[in-house]
Amino acid sequence: MSQRELDNILHSIAQSGEQLKTNERRQFLKSGLLIAGAVAAAPATVSAQSSNLPPSVPPWTRQLGRGVISNPYGIPSRHEAHVTRRSVEWLTADDIASISFTPLADLSGIITPSGVVFERYHAGVPEIPPDQHRLMIHGLVERPIILSMDDLMRFPSESVIRFLECPANGGMEWRGAQMDRLQFSHGMLACCEWTGVRLSTLLEEVGLKKDAAWVLAEGADGAHMSRSIPMDKAMDDALVVFAQNGEMLRPEQGYPLRLINPGWEGNTCVKWLRRLEIGDQPWHHREETSKYTDLMPDGTSREFTYVQECNSVVTSPSPEKPFKKKGKYVIQGLAWSGRGKIKTVDVSVDGGVSWRQARFTSQILPKALTRFALEWEWKGSPAMIQSRAVDETGYVQPTYGQLRQVRGSNSIYHKNAIHTWRLAPDGVVTNVQIS
Amino acid sequence: MFRFPRLWATLVAIAMAGCADSGAGTGDTTVSYKGDRIGHFGFGTPATPEQIAGWDIDIRPDGAGLPEGSGSVEDGEWLYEEQCAECHGSFGEGVGRYPILAGGQGSLKDERPTRSVGSYWPYTSTLFDYIYRAMPFTMPESLSVDETYAVTAYVLYLNDLVEDDLVLDHTNLASIRLPNEPNFVPDPRPDVANTRCMNDCRDPAQVNIISEVAPAAPLPQVSVTETETTAAHHPGRQTYDQFCGICHRVGVGGAPITGDTDAWSERITNRAETLATNAIDGVSSGGGSMPPKGGFMQLTDDEVRAAVDYMVGESS
Repeated sequence: MSQRELDNILHSIAQSGEQLKTNERRQFLKSGLLIAGAVAAAPATVSAQSSNLPPSVPPWTRQLGRGVISNPYGIPSRHEAHVTRRSVEWLTADDIASISFTPLADLSGIITPSGVVFERYHAGVPEIPPDQHRLMIHGLVERPIILSMDDLMRFPSESVIRFLECPANGGMEWRGAQMDRLQFSHGMLACCEWTGVRLSTLLEEVGLKKDAAWVLAEGADGAHMSRSIPMDKAMDDALVVFAQNGEMLRPEQGYPLRLINPGWEGNTCVKWLRRLEIGDQPWHHREETSKYTDLMPDGTSREFTYVQECNSVVTSPSPEKPFKKKGKYVIQGLAWSGRGKIKTVDVSVDGGVSWRQARFTSQILPKALTRFALEWEWKGSPAMIQSRAVDETGYVQPTYGQLRQVRGSNSIYHKNAIHTWRLAPDGVVTNVQIS
Repeated sequence: MFRFPRLWATLVAIAMAGCADSGAGTGDTTVSYKGDRIGHFGFGTPATPEQIAGWDIDIRPDGAGLPEGSGSVEDGEWLYEEQCAECHGSFGEGVGRYPILAGGQGSLKDERPTRSVGSYWPYTSTLFDYIYRAMPFTMPESLSVDETYAVTAYVLYLNDLVEDDLVLDHTNLASIRLPNEPNFVPDPRPDVANTRCMNDCRDPAQVNIISEVAPAAPLPQVSVTETETTAAHHPGRQTYDQFCGICHRVGVGGAPITGDTDAWSERITNRAETLATNAIDGVSSGGGSMPPKGGFMQLTDDEVRAAVDYMVGESS
């Protein structure tokens, strides 16, 4: 306990005491000081963890804790300090144009806390004062405008829960198992509640000219990150977002303004959004030609591969969540599809010979992470644990063999194969690919 | 009851929009607006042509958006050496994991294809657009229009796509076609089909591991006290993290890597007093060059000195 915390406790005790009659107050203060004294001495008297377990009463049960505003903006318990974004050094040339991964194994439910949402920057995180940020909308429009954040937030807005995934998620696994943790094999993935103005509302406000067919979205970061978005998507469910999980966007997520194209490549959801230009053709910029195109075995390349197809992964057991001993477990995982809702998820523990249908343990929302679970008794034998998701279009998540047969192993993006965790008799879980 | 029925209708529309879920195809969520929507809210200010011109930097394959100007392969050569070669290599071969710009023609069907401007990119316009928009990496939008034409011309030359006497400008750029343009195709997905088999889906004897990763090593435990160390609070730490570290974390252009005591010991022992001035004014040596303030001229001398002090402390 720090001196400041002790002072705070004494101060609060003294304040409470002022409401008491004088003679009572004397007694109160005396007992309060005794409590505070015991608190200060407590760490020294607690010698072993076992003394905090029943029938003993742990010290935190017999003392005062921190007061209000000791953390004006709350942070997770210090015992959760291991739950952080992490990066893989060799993936990128530097850590400015780089990526970090969401700690999927340690999260619950379907909402990714804002502080651990994976990061992807092309020129680092710009520091933007919101009163100096502007969104310019121009091109094939009747009424080109510039909006301040105050202007933008006056438009009707809505909140939706949608996943966000980098199309390179799992891309390191095309040639074989490579990443030693779930965080690195699937962690370019998050799901948040996004609040913003529908792009269609803004486009109706500026008025589209006859040949308007594409929208160029451009960021205010040093990369001026840009992508061409077809008008159908812009008018369907694209959202110009200012808030995430109930608060203004985090700087890492585009503060103060970003685009969210639900179900589409995270890269199209341009952060620090400064400009929307309307045109009659796509722009074919670097991030939609040199990158984010899918090279096929015959030498052709697919462009504008926007949708993130149906995918799933088991989060427990996983390398981060090994089994400690034989017994009953709940196999858990996440499923998602850029085409809509998840319909079913099946789980196999024998490498895909037989499957059992899992149950859902979260809401089933379109284009959102969906959590599944299956009870299983592990008898200590080696196992090959897999999940296979089906979305509402009837699309069944494919095997590596099926994917590679069509796409080879050089397409980098859009790897959504059924993933295998090998569970060894000692409970250790490793990333494997099977024939 | 309501004296202004039209206002009331607007409020209802706004309220409905606030409740709507954007689930595609649910059919019951679209706010229907009556009549002409253009300028309905009237928020913001008209964007003037001058304002638009300042931000409208995008170029299209047909040349739309190209600013007037020109630059030659010859001019591009020294600009490239000065501004680009540090990361991309003198021949566009790429340094470390920085992108390869040249070579690899005919490799796209290989086991290890090389995706360069000459072998992969479909359009010349993308090159101009990207250089102007995002390069040089540490100083985006610092090249003039003419310089951008020159560097674009030189990268094309590195790919054997143009002659060395080319002068590139807004009238000829779009006519220079890249060889891989015809090989880009639309997205045909869903292109892979699986079926939802539940039992006896495959022969158990055929389930064999074909690749495997060793068990994950324990992660270094992030201690809460780690963030309270002296190094974290060093006055030069933030400058280092944001600017100097871009090169000094990985050794771009021969930069001594922070923490590499071998690389730093001679500098610290013999040249301690000149380290900071060299960082501020720039220095060129056999192994590489340190641009003034690493190219971040917005940094004050004191910020650079503090960052150097931090790096020395981390590398001693």
